[in-house]
Amino acid sequence: MATACPASASIISSSISPSSSSTSSICHFSHLSLSVPSFNHLSSSISISPSFQALSAKSCKRASSSTIFQSFTVKAEKKKVLIVNTNSGGHAVIGFYFAKELLGSGHDVTIFTIGEEGSDKMKKPPFNRFSEIVGAGGKTVWGEPVDIGKVLDGAAFDVVLDNNGKDLEAVRPVADWAKSIGVKQFLFVSSAGIYKTTDEPPHVEGDVVKADAGHVGVEQYIAGTFANWASFRPQYMIGSGNNKDCEEWFFDRIVRGRPILIPGSGMQLTNIAHVRDLSSMLTLAVEKPEAASGNIFNCVSDRAVTLDGMAKLCAKAAGLPVEIIHYDPKAVGIDAKKAFPFRNMHFYSEPRAAKEILGWSGTTDLTVDLKERFDEFVKTGRDKKQIQFEIDDKILASLKVPVAA
Amino acid sequence: MFKSYFLQYKKKEWRSRRALCVSASSAKKILIMGGTRFIGIFLSRLLVKEGHQVTLFTRGKAPIASQLPGESEADFKDFESKILHLKGDRMDFEFVKSSLSAEGFDVVYDINGREANEVEPILDALPKLEQYIYCSSAGVYLKTDYLPHFESDAVDPKSRHKGKLETESLLKSRGVNWTSIRPVYIYGPLNYNPVEEWFFHRLKAGRPIPIPNSGLQVTQLGHVKDLATAFLRVLGNEKAREEVFNISGEKYVTFDGLARACAKAGGFPEPEIIHYNPKEFDFGKKKAFPFRDQHFFASVEKANSVLGIVPEFDLLEGLTDSYNLDFGRGTFRKAADFSTDDIILEKSGSLSLVA
Repeated sequence: MATACPASASIISSSISPSSSSTSSICHFSHLSLSVPSFNHLSSSISISPSFQALSAKSCKRASSSTIFQSFTVKAEKKKVLIVNTNSGGHAVIGFYFAKELLGSGHDVTIFTIGEEGSDKMKKPPFNRFSEIVGAGGKTVWGEPVDIGKVLDGAAFDVVLDNNGKDLEAVRPVADWAKSIGVKQFLFVSSAGIYKTTDEPPHVEGDVVKADAGHVGVEQYIAGTFANWASFRPQYMIGSGNNKDCEEWFFDRIVRGRPILIPGSGMQLTNIAHVRDLSSMLTLAVEKPEAASGNIFNCVSDRAVTLDGMAKLCAKAAGLPVEIIHYDPKAVGIDAKKAFPFRNMHFYSEPRAAKEILGWSGTTDLTVDLKERFDEFVKTGRDKKQIQFEIDDKILASLKVPVAA
Repeated sequence: MFKSYFLQYKKKEWRSRRALCVSASSAKKILIMGGTRFIGIFLSRLLVKEGHQVTLFTRGKAPIASQLPGESEADFKDFESKILHLKGDRMDFEFVKSSLSAEGFDVVYDINGREANEVEPILDALPKLEQYIYCSSAGVYLKTDYLPHFESDAVDPKSRHKGKLETESLLKSRGVNWTSIRPVYIYGPLNYNPVEEWFFHRLKAGRPIPIPNSGLQVTQLGHVKDLATAFLRVLGNEKAREEVFNISGEKYVTFDGLARACAKAGGFPEPEIIHYNPKEFDFGKKKAFPFRDQHFFASVEKANSVLGIVPEFDLLEGLTDSYNLDFGRGTFRKAADFSTDDIILEKSGSLSLVA
């Protein structure tokens, strides 16, 4: 539509010799807030994906100049990937899914789990399903971060993902060793918990983080150590093989006709993703290393849910009614962290960098995914288990609410 | 280094370059339904500056051109000399049809349409219409616990804004090239909806800010100038053909956070916030708080990735702009009314806080 071109555009275009046909395309690109006239010559040979056009002046600080190449379809070369995995906690399942996805895509995968193969921790999911990794062609080894060089002596890797450390003490040995053996890409599973609380949700990449957080120290260290690094900040996740209860906390109460006790108003927003979304984001980073390099990615699904909403969705998935009771933890004398699985505040990040820079899209739909989770919950017989609800009962007692026998 | 130069260049030059990129052959004959109240005031100026011929369809109750706070004499005179007026009542469908068909317009911006039947005569009058750009509302989305609202989300056929939905459906069914913009809460200088003004009145009076329930409700404000820019961006844009776009700020804000941001914008001290349970009160017909008492925010990612739209104002910048050009100069639309505040404060025992 636009045909005239301002003189100001020639400031950049004088560095190239524009052909007559590129004159109009310069103005076409002026619709974009990041228009790069000098790249117009390439416009006939590559298709500029919409995600490229999304690079705005503000978000440019996230993007490397090589993101223009993200729209080339390059067959992913086979990578040798090492996953250093925690032996417990909410993040454990990430390494499990990521390993399976990489193996499914034809990559070479080794999982180095912290601790000992024979420990009790290994009897819990996802570790008790590591045969699935081995069966798909992956290797599983165990050890401490400081011994990683010994355990993996002689091995070479293109990519290392540290899905274990919460601070530099745990990650530095891994990072230093990876650097010494020439690992090209270092990825780190950090945490969205490091964002400073804000009046203006959501947390987006680039927002202020808590300077003293262990993960921040790690991010800074790997940024200074590796030419190609990326950090992923997750929140909560659901998925088969999860080491830590998430939706199960709600299901346990719903199937037993117990009320869901939620601290505060229940309006707090949080982000609960299916672990496959986290895995797909990590996989994209491995397959698009240039695009991912030097970036922070919120590793979450693209919707937030209220705490009340999560309770309702779990009940719907179970096909059962739910009663929600709100309480003030301080008034009841309860540590909300022990009583409830999610933070008693808005804890809401959005995966904007992954969408813009990696072309990632989320697939989590709690209205669907929780049904599958509930089916597994019942299959394992967990709904029939005898469970004590000590803290719940304490809260209910102080609220003077009668509990069904 | 190259990257940061690039960033600065882009940010400064983008707007002026955009404005120059229209040749005479692509100037359009544009009709704005409305245009003298809020959005249209800013949009009409952008369109005129772009070289289009712009007509405002209004009843003539407000002046067609009124100098904006902060607008130079030269700019205003230029705008005043170019803006055209078609005087009429859009509810007079026969007049709408005959006057529009007599004039002929390339593009219609419908800023004040509420019901589908208001749009029919316009479409009937302009069979060769290139684009119908409609100001809808994010209020059409069905309330949910699972946010933000995306353009593809479920809408509520029973909402207060169902007329907007019906209009969108009509546009779809008529085979015209349409674009629908769904703003959330709009703010900025000359706002006739007491959004920021509500907070400024209380801050100026040194009064506590009564906020219903937890104050954690998350909402979203979009600056009117950014909205006008977005409306400009979709003009003649093939990527906007038959598409809906949420347009608002990039970040959301809690009710409590908004009170604090308004205080910062106006140079007021940190406000005292009083939370109350609205169920314990009966305010009659009066509104005790200017926002829906629920989470209400929409993702603006589609406009960003498809059209390259990035808001210029963040919340603090936008509220400061509004304060400096409007309330801070002593102007406002609605006089302060603290009657519901006093009812709340009396019950909470805080009435003594008020001087």
